[in-house]
Amino acid sequence: MWVIVEEVRKSFAILFAYPVEVVFWIFSPLLWVIPLVFQGKALIGAFSSTPFGALAGTDEFIPYVLIGAIISTYMFSAVWSMGNSFRDETYYGTLEHILSAPVRPVYILVGKGVYNSVLSTLFVIVQLLICVFIFGLEITLAKIFPIFLFLLLLIVGLYGIGFMAAAVTLLIKESHGIIHLFEYVLFLFSPIRYPVEVNPITKTISVFIPLTYALIALRGLLLNIDFNFWKNSVILLGIDCAIIPLGLFIFYKIEKRTKTRGTLADY
Amino acid sequence: MLENSDIVVEALCKVFKKGKPDEVRAVDGVGFSIRKGELFGLLGPNGAGKTTLIKCISTLLIPDGGSASVGGFDIKREPLRVRQHIGVLTGGERSLYWKLTPVENLRYFATLYGVPRKVIKDRIDYLLDLMGLTDKASVRVEKLSSGMKQKLSLARVLAHDPPILLVDEPTLGLDPYFARFIRDFIKNELNKKLHKTILLTTHYMDEADELCDRIAFMNRGKIEALDTPDRLKQSMPQKQTLEIKCQGTLEKETFSDVREAASINISHEDGFVYLRMNTDNPEVILSSIIELIREKAQIFSVRVTVPTLEDVFVHLTGASLKDG
Repeated sequence: MWVIVEEVRKSFAILFAYPVEVVFWIFSPLLWVIPLVFQGKALIGAFSSTPFGALAGTDEFIPYVLIGAIISTYMFSAVWSMGNSFRDETYYGTLEHILSAPVRPVYILVGKGVYNSVLSTLFVIVQLLICVFIFGLEITLAKIFPIFLFLLLLIVGLYGIGFMAAAVTLLIKESHGIIHLFEYVLFLFSPIRYPVEVNPITKTISVFIPLTYALIALRGLLLNIDFNFWKNSVILLGIDCAIIPLGLFIFYKIEKRTKTRGTLADY
Repeated sequence: MLENSDIVVEALCKVFKKGKPDEVRAVDGVGFSIRKGELFGLLGPNGAGKTTLIKCISTLLIPDGGSASVGGFDIKREPLRVRQHIGVLTGGERSLYWKLTPVENLRYFATLYGVPRKVIKDRIDYLLDLMGLTDKASVRVEKLSSGMKQKLSLARVLAHDPPILLVDEPTLGLDPYFARFIRDFIKNELNKKLHKTILLTTHYMDEADELCDRIAFMNRGKIEALDTPDRLKQSMPQKQTLEIKCQGTLEKETFSDVREAASINISHEDGFVYLRMNTDNPEVILSSIIELIREKAQIFSVRVTVPTLEDVFVHLTGASLKDG
């Protein structure tokens, strides 16, 4: 437990050692939102569209896209953070020293994931505030608990994917390409930027992607679209129960392989 | 003897690129044991397999054959228990977070190594005081000198007070002042006072000779000899060494016809060439050696000494510690 706390503290201390990075984290939520607004306005000429509503369940195009973008940013930053964490340690020269400690490396990875989740949560809160005050999104106290429930279910699953991404980095030392591919697949087949109902292929494949259920639930809560609360939460829970052991299994297998091949600290 | 040993290595093997044409047997059937409280040295040139061996013992590499135990725990079956009992120090500067302060580094590593929260602060204060870094406690590591960084690395290794230390080339790249401090600290504080069992790897002959109770010569993945420094030196068939310091170009083959000279070694240091050869009759061969050198190099000094560990290494392996 303390390993996770100390990992978070270390990561924040390193972040604050780079002041420009902090400035980026303060201003980027605002800069990030504005192009989406312009994009929506340019495409449909207004903030709402009836044809869009027929597919998405809501006429409100911009809040729909914003929620997709916020949640996917949350997701990808966690995968990036965990995936690249051991690569960063290799650059610092500390990887072998933390891996020769009497602690399972997974705790270190979870610490890095928690650090990223805290940072992303602050980012998302600012983004949601922008959505509330500029786009009239309604977030009542009654919605807070279910929102956090679905975010939690999503985050737990993300850690499973993060373990796999870290394992890939240990193995091939460079995971940017694979994580980008992962991103593009999700952008294509899950309802991040558009309703997957737009064509039968994306609709079919989206059923197998956990992010789909999180987005349906969170949009349902935030935009008052009808959705099945229990179905989505149980499916996400089921995916979490499968993906965490799978992520750990893959990580330990690959860690053992790199220790056998002697490539643990290679660049 | 094995019951009283902290590290036991038996027929350990580590092969890289197994089955490929460029296969490397980095550690090739190595075996030895290190007694509790002993300062044991692995001496060999770069590429001899010393670091690979340390990585196997510290569970960072999984060996392909043989076995090893540390503090009574098997490195393959109980890696976490092994890591609780060891501290690993490597040469070079990059083993700390440069953007953090010494206190932040030590707190992080102490937590990682399971030091109880209640004692972490006292432990950090003690270690900073021990290393003379108290006044640098809040300065970022990137602002410290190389020597101070290595002192802090040493403090990091001691954070959880491990009984066994694996020390890999600890003075690599340090200036003479800090190298002396680190050597004295390893010998006097860690070994003599705190009774740590230490496995030290080095390619500096003087360092091994000065610090170690016993030394294993390692070359091409194998242990070539193992004994106390004195006994290793006494094992030389020739009891004297002729050393000639000169400037120019010398080759071993030039002296191959000198019958009473053995283990000829040519090394380069500070712009000079050092020719060393072991012999029982330096005065007999001296004139013929000078004659052979005269045309190729300018002689600066000639002296007769007793054989060093380097001479023994050359005698046993045909290779120099400076090779690699």
